[in-house]
Amino acid sequence: MTSKVYVALRVKASPQRAFEVFTQEIGAWWRPSALFQTTPRAPGVMAIEPGEGGRFTETLANGKVFEIGRVLIWEPPGRLVLSWRQANFPPDMHTEVEVKFEAVGDETRVSVEHRGFHQAPAESAARHGFPNALLLTKLAEYWQAQLRAIRDTVTP
Amino acid sequence: MSDWRAPLISAVCYRDPKAALRYLEAAFGFELTMLIEDEQGELVHSEMRFGNAAIMIGNEWSEDHKSPSSLGGKNTQTVHIQIDSDVDAHCARARAAGFEIMMEPATQFYGDRTYRARDPEGHIWTVAQSVQAVTREEAEAATGLKITGWV
Repeated sequence: MTSKVYVALRVKASPQRAFEVFTQEIGAWWRPSALFQTTPRAPGVMAIEPGEGGRFTETLANGKVFEIGRVLIWEPPGRLVLSWRQANFPPDMHTEVEVKFEAVGDETRVSVEHRGFHQAPAESAARHGFPNALLLTKLAEYWQAQLRAIRDTVTP
Repeated sequence: MSDWRAPLISAVCYRDPKAALRYLEAAFGFELTMLIEDEQGELVHSEMRFGNAAIMIGNEWSEDHKSPSSLGGKNTQTVHIQIDSDVDAHCARARAAGFEIMMEPATQFYGDRTYRARDPEGHIWTVAQSVQAVTREEAEAATGLKITGWV
């Protein structure tokens, strides 16, 4: 079993458009957070290379490219699975992010499920000393902020 | 925190809250917007939305938080759902999702058509749709009650 954080939000767009915004415009809408730092540096620009095996990266101000993960599943316009490793994760900690785009009438329900974050060891900087329930709640809020950013991008 | 929170939200306790998420969606069309599970797969927190409202579905997380199914079916509060169309179809959907219909849809003196249902853990839900305009005088005449606050 793994821990799981699931959040969902409806956006006024087709699944195709929402998938496109998520994967191709992530550099513009991504909202970095000090709690879930991907690298110890100032936040950079996120990018996802299309297709399975594509790199999920963050390009820092100094030009360095940090690989957060890879595209594990690329099924436009319905589903995307990314691996997710922050620089502060211990070497054996792997987490996964599944994003789904489901049509509901003329809207799309975008959901994110982030699995495995409970593995952060007690002393890990990725945990900030939080017990699991609080850590996972904060992670849910982090992803809700990302979903709001996507919603505001598709309907400015 | 969600992107938005209603000023009043019911948090409802279940022995099996993950099953409740499924049958509340099937019966009422509630939409899951947040779910947190620990590494044992146990629900930590969840929220569902319905229109401009929300509800939290939780477990029996303390000695004082219990489902009716742990209390011989007793309810200490019920949640009311107000819809704007086809309450009869709504009731049929709840029945199909395994809810026990305690009172079939019936038009009340105050102008709402209402039904009452019990979910698989014994929570009682009322659902109503306004179907006729009734004045305070008409309602008072029909019931003999003194009604305050009726606009």
